Amino acid sequence: MNTKKLFLAAAIAASPLFAQVSAKVEVPYVAFPVKMGAGFDEVQANCLMCHSFGYIINQGKQSKKFWRGKVNKMIVHFKAPINQKSADIITAYLFEHYGNGQEK
Amino acid sequence: MERRDFFKKAAVTAGAAALGSSTLEAGITHQPIDNRKPMDVAFPEKRPLIVYSDRPPLLETPRDVFTSALTPNDQFFVRWHMPDIPTFIDPDKFTISVNGLVNKELQISLNDLKTKYEQVDVTAVLQCGGNSRSAFTPTAGGIQWGNGAMGCARWRGVRLKDILDKAGLKKEAEWIGFNGSEKAAYYETPNFIRELKLDELDDHVILAYEMNGEDLPYLNGYPLRLIIPGSYSDSWVKMLSNITVTNEYKKLFFMDIAYRVPDNATEGETPEKKFPKTKPITKMNVKSIIGYPVDGATLSHKSEVVVRGVAWDDGHGIEKVMVSIDNGKTWGEALLDSGRLGRYAYRAFRFHFKPKGYGQLKIMAKAMNKIGKEQPLAKDIPWNHGGYKYNGIDEVTVEVV
Repeated sequence: MNTKKLFLAAAIAASPLFAQVSAKVEVPYVAFPVKMGAGFDEVQANCLMCHSFGYIINQGKQSKKFWRGKVNKMIVHFKAPINQKSADIITAYLFEHYGNGQEK
Repeated sequence: MERRDFFKKAAVTAGAAALGSSTLEAGITHQPIDNRKPMDVAFPEKRPLIVYSDRPPLLETPRDVFTSALTPNDQFFVRWHMPDIPTFIDPDKFTISVNGLVNKELQISLNDLKTKYEQVDVTAVLQCGGNSRSAFTPTAGGIQWGNGAMGCARWRGVRLKDILDKAGLKKEAEWIGFNGSEKAAYYETPNFIRELKLDELDDHVILAYEMNGEDLPYLNGYPLRLIIPGSYSDSWVKMLSNITVTNEYKKLFFMDIAYRVPDNATEGETPEKKFPKTKPITKMNVKSIIGYPVDGATLSHKSEVVVRGVAWDDGHGIEKVMVSIDNGKTWGEALLDSGRLGRYAYRAFRFHFKPKGYGQLKIMAKAMNKIGKEQPLAKDIPWNHGGYKYNGIDEVTVEVV
């Protein structure tokens, strides 16, 4: 896989961070390629709060059961406030665009 | 084909390649994905690395870095779990707290750590348990790392034991919990905490403030991180802020759910039939990686080629590294470095040969450790749901012209 092709990198300053140096250092913002489609608004509203889109697409192509499980993990273990309706929509979006075609 | 169609097709192909292994035979473990390139944009204190995520930062070291026993700080891989890393750490005000079942609670400043305790060095490999995860089919859950979620550095700091001695452990003390400063977006999200049993902690476990002679880069856990030589990096808590001594184990997501493998002899299972009992990944298995030449490189016919790479295990020590240039039919012994960096460090190896034929040539490397464990072929490594602990015989294929 050639990840570089996918990264439309943009050095837009995001969160300021400090190291041992006294000057500010900043983590670059990376514009990962986002697939538009039904449910994307829910992904944007619920997933990107905690992690980048890269964290999603770099899981590889996965089954519907896998994506359902990941969304549930965010709710159960990471306490993301995602309601059941949104969870269904997000799972469908992830499987549609980053699925391997298999239910489980 | 019309130009527009061509672009459409190209885009689809790139997407499929990026998303892994659907074309590979189901169930057979293979070589990890190996041709990713660093991104153009560099992260703080780093050279450009392979980027999986910017928040939290997930950065992989390219293969060609692994030709020497120490990994430069600015090329060292990065893996965080939470989106919110402190925006400011003042080294003059930073303290590490020690509390719980101790006789005397401590608040130790960085300066006190550097002046009031014995300073010790340990050179040790830091490797993510999911390193090389992209080797597994079907795709295992988690970031699809290639081979570079690892590095080896000389860590300087203070023995955990010396700090615990200073605080004085109460007799019922049994577990030590370590907190990092990374924070989740939601208050309710569990913090990244590790708990280690007191009897698992030996003199080699240190709290390090220095890496390869420099302050820790903040992406590697500035100003202080836990170093547990021989163990996978999930326990090496970064931006360490608090140490709590307890007498009972608390249930923790990152201990009890994540970073676990099937608790059976082969540590294997199938997607259809996952093994019910699991255990923490803990100690590293024996492994080697070829740093030169890299996959797809071109070599000249009859040139003097020196294959270079690194080998390591959990501290038993590397006995030898074998290299094959004939698809594994015959193996020659590589030269190992002196080993003076200690048993937890990479052993750099080199192997000289002259390519005799033309065309594609596969170079393989296999490490063996001092207790007789050796790397298996990729295809002989069973699948596990988290894609942990891959240690297949390494392969690169080059073109001889």
